[in-house]
Amino acid sequence: MRPEDVKICILRIEGTNCEDESLLAFKRLGANVELVHLKQLTGQDVWDSEKRDLMDYHILMIPGGFSSGDYVRAGAIWAARIKSKLSSPLTEFIKEGRAVLGVCNGFQVLVEMGFLPGIDGVMSQVPQAVLTTNDSSRFECRPTLLKYVNNFNCIFTHKLNQGQVLLVPSAHAEGKLLFPTEKAEKIYKDLEENDQIVFKYVDQNGEYAGYPWNPNGSPRNIAGICNPSGNVMGMMPHPERVFHRFTHPDWTRGFSSPVGDGRIIFESVLESVMKKL
Amino acid sequence: MNIPTNFALKRGPELALEGLYRKLDAPFPFNEILLSEANDEQLKALAIESGTGLSLDEMKALVDYFALQGRNPTEVELQSIGQAWSEHCCYKSSKQILKEFVFGIDNPQVIDRGDAGVMEFDENNAYSLRIESHNHPSAVEPYGGAATGIGGIVRDVLCMGCQPIALIDPLFFGNLDTPMDKLPKGTKHPRYLFSGVVSGIRDYGNRIGVPTLSGGVFFDESYTGNCLVNVGCVGIASKSHLYKNRVGGVGDNLVLVGGRTGRDGIHGVTFASAVLTKKSETESRGAVQLGDPITKEPVIHAVLEVARRGIISGMKDLGGGGLSCVCGELAYAAGFGVEVQLDKVPTKEDGLLPWEIWVSESQERMMLAVTDENLEEVLHVFKFNDVEATVVGRVIPEQVARVFFNGVKILDMELKFLTGGPEYCRPREIRKPEQKVGENPPKEPADYTKPLLELLASQNICSRDWVIRQYDHEVRGNTVLKPLQGVLGHACHGDASVLKPVEDSWKGLAITTAVNPWVMAIDPYRGGKGVIDEMCRNLVAVGSRPHSFSNCLNFGNPEKPERLGEFYEALKGLGEAAARLNIPTPSGNVSFYNESESTSVMPTAVLLGVGIHPDVRKSITSDLKAQGNLIYLVGKTGAEMGGSAFYRLAGGTSSQVPDTDIPMLAKSMDAMLQAMGKGFVHSCHDISDGGLGVAISEMCIGGQLGAELDLGAMGSLPSTSKLFAESNTRWLGEVQPKDASEFESLFKEITITKLGEVSGSDLVICSGEELLVDTRISDLENAWRHTLWKQMGGSE
Amino acid sequence: MFIADIRITLKKGVADPEGKNTRKALELLGFTEVSEVKTSKFFSIHLNTADEAAARAQVEKICVALLSNPVINEYSYELRPEKGA
Repeated sequence: MRPEDVKICILRIEGTNCEDESLLAFKRLGANVELVHLKQLTGQDVWDSEKRDLMDYHILMIPGGFSSGDYVRAGAIWAARIKSKLSSPLTEFIKEGRAVLGVCNGFQVLVEMGFLPGIDGVMSQVPQAVLTTNDSSRFECRPTLLKYVNNFNCIFTHKLNQGQVLLVPSAHAEGKLLFPTEKAEKIYKDLEENDQIVFKYVDQNGEYAGYPWNPNGSPRNIAGICNPSGNVMGMMPHPERVFHRFTHPDWTRGFSSPVGDGRIIFESVLESVMKKL
Repeated sequence: MNIPTNFALKRGPELALEGLYRKLDAPFPFNEILLSEANDEQLKALAIESGTGLSLDEMKALVDYFALQGRNPTEVELQSIGQAWSEHCCYKSSKQILKEFVFGIDNPQVIDRGDAGVMEFDENNAYSLRIESHNHPSAVEPYGGAATGIGGIVRDVLCMGCQPIALIDPLFFGNLDTPMDKLPKGTKHPRYLFSGVVSGIRDYGNRIGVPTLSGGVFFDESYTGNCLVNVGCVGIASKSHLYKNRVGGVGDNLVLVGGRTGRDGIHGVTFASAVLTKKSETESRGAVQLGDPITKEPVIHAVLEVARRGIISGMKDLGGGGLSCVCGELAYAAGFGVEVQLDKVPTKEDGLLPWEIWVSESQERMMLAVTDENLEEVLHVFKFNDVEATVVGRVIPEQVARVFFNGVKILDMELKFLTGGPEYCRPREIRKPEQKVGENPPKEPADYTKPLLELLASQNICSRDWVIRQYDHEVRGNTVLKPLQGVLGHACHGDASVLKPVEDSWKGLAITTAVNPWVMAIDPYRGGKGVIDEMCRNLVAVGSRPHSFSNCLNFGNPEKPERLGEFYEALKGLGEAAARLNIPTPSGNVSFYNESESTSVMPTAVLLGVGIHPDVRKSITSDLKAQGNLIYLVGKTGAEMGGSAFYRLAGGTSSQVPDTDIPMLAKSMDAMLQAMGKGFVHSCHDISDGGLGVAISEMCIGGQLGAELDLGAMGSLPSTSKLFAESNTRWLGEVQPKDASEFESLFKEITITKLGEVSGSDLVICSGEELLVDTRISDLENAWRHTLWKQMGGSE
Repeated sequence: MFIADIRITLKKGVADPEGKNTRKALELLGFTEVSEVKTSKFFSIHLNTADEAAARAQVEKICVALLSNPVINEYSYELRPEKGA
């Protein structure tokens, strides 16, 4: 299968704002990618020619932004809207092993919908986690370093080497991943056992460190997780912003390749899908 | 200032104006104003009571006009003229001066001068730019004021058909450590204003997904009573998707899209054109608009969608003056007129009076001109995006505006008269710099390390990361050079940000802000030239060629001759430099009346400068790169300490502010860009606030590398001048030893001085035998990093 | 017709950075006597339901479906009849 046979849906609603660069990331790799408004999947206010079927796609990406203004809680309104209209096709989509990526606001949406961490099944009725206000209580736009800690369960990262550190910038006000206090220890253990933790924040020496290297105060420095099957991943930092080396924050200090650190995530999932099809 | 919320109904019999209103037959409160019967006192009172702020002469022009028509105006007509003729809308005090100095600067790269200026980017693409003020609303309600400022500037770029790709926000406040009891009555604390404005810009800019790439925060006592909030935007479009701010032809529908119309933002323009008083806060709340970025974001989508599909004829945003300005201007620009059904306008609440709907400046609204043929598709695109779109009018062949409300004609005026507006040549007085400040040099310090650290820690030079990291400067994924540059965790201020705006090209746009109010306050003419110099230095420092700029000119009350004199001199300097370099300014904004009862702001001419970068992969940052590289000073240093950060710190004064040798600037820019094109320059920083001492410190902090410099070769200047003078047309550049001779050979007839090299982890500066500065980079960084955090709080 | 005044608070033990930073800002403004700031969200929701029990059930659903995340939030509400309705 060729990259142009892989159909990718970049989903948007009002307030989504990272869809253009997310689309370009896949497009630059030759994939068949399009921007789709939630209404095109639900059929509301659209002409027939604009209607789309989720099941026609191999990859669904929920990009960053401030969906519905992030009012109530980051990602909550979008999650509620998807849940009310699309929860069964989306559950089906995930059960079939198709890929779902949520970046930043998209991660928040996947958590609020109950697809992540998804420890007890594809989708939980109530959220099992939350991405809440950064410890600094501020929006944080800064470079972050991510250590790849997965054992190749996740289909978005299998091209990475274990322990590899990527520079992927963060830009969010609500990125602290919390689990219910009383169950947290058990959940961390499950996440480890299920190989669900994908990225952790580290400092320039590759060590786990606090603020600002961990921009939000996420316990255990968790930056990105996947579901137990590895086909749904959410991460706070933005890989689409570092597709090229020339958008890294420190590229003028020297580099060995013009390829940016974020590109490998898009390549990995594309390759995984192509192998399967 | 009087902001009535219910103009037609609230007057009582006690007012002398009572007899001047005659109720007309209509199913809503609607009055005729008996101008023909009013005496001068009543005309003045009318101008005040109606909130239009028109002068007596202007009121008399109205009397004459309506006498010719053989009737009296309706209250809607009076309001309409009040809007159209406000300083904010028609530039009545500044137009002649702008014409004299800047409007004529032109070249074939200028594509349009509309709500935003449009310039050629490459064969297929164009970029647009504009900067404007949002000062008065932000002084009263900092969060909402700043947020709506962003909304307005984004619409200016959008209505040219361009995707907004960068925001710029220079901000000016009183000193952060102003004691509460020193605040003028009715004024908010600078810390509160700063925090509110930054939050407003952050929440709005981040939410609509446009990166904030440049700006600046400036603190001075003169801004305590009247903060300045300037907002700029740059956009990009394929040339085939550009639009004009005008209708296509007779029969076009006027489609109002976006937010609903409410009482928020009534009389914003007349508010912006008056001096702030103690009462402004309570009286003016009605004039501050509330923004909703989540209405805005889909508006951007939908507008760009109809623009790309080519199904509109033209468009314009609703800014100052609301519908009353946009309808007439859109039609008249194409030589036509317009009929508007005001009752069709969707409102936020019931009971709005027609004149309120007509002049409201509610946010997030744009007017599109659409042919009958395309109407259905346009309305569908907006519905799809959950954005309200309503046909409210139609283009007619006669050059008049006719407005109806529930079938009653409430306005009928010639557009030539309505949009014409007065132009004034007000008296001006020019004071020489020597008349303003004396020569009081501070004592030459015994040790220069201490003042250097103090400068780095000072509120106008210290790290801006407290602000910058709250703004998303990377959304859209095209930011090649960020506002903070250097080693991760130690990044320092750069001179300009660089974007790669077009997918299939490595050509870039460099974006910067330039302003120096302290110099301009002493010598507006040199200050005007200097601000062009600073803009050019910043853009060249990253490897781009200055291409165009937009200006926001914040001055005091133009009715005071001294203020207008400052404006005239500043424009003269600015215009001379820009004309000689042939850098056009296709858009701009004048903001007068920036004074409170106690103080006026310093003359503050802010430039949003744009440069074209031939290849973003060759962009240059300000951080030092490698041990052993040579450090050069390009340009000539003079004992020009007037307005400098060092004199302000040390308490000295001088009227000798830096002058600009414009032909030398042109020559130096060419040489620098040539050297950069050849790959000789590894880091570069312009020399501005705090002089050479601060510039090299920032390069060291960003690169986490030390430097050893000898300033002996700079000649016989005092050491304070060598270290801290802010002479124009200067850069520091880092060059590898192997390239040194070839680098030097490019600078014919231009002063360049080899100062030393990148070395160790200390900054050591001597001048011949004399040791001036010796300090660790970590000490420089500590001094520089924490000031704003300490003042503003937050975990660092 | 009822109005539900709904308050969404953070569960005990969940950090409240907004409250913490607000306290710090107040301290900087000279309010040294402020010892703690807690934040919560307040929603006032008007319901076109005549029956109080039905209204209560609606509010419960609303809180769970959107307004709160049980991982960090608790919710409480008061139901009052809408005047003039």
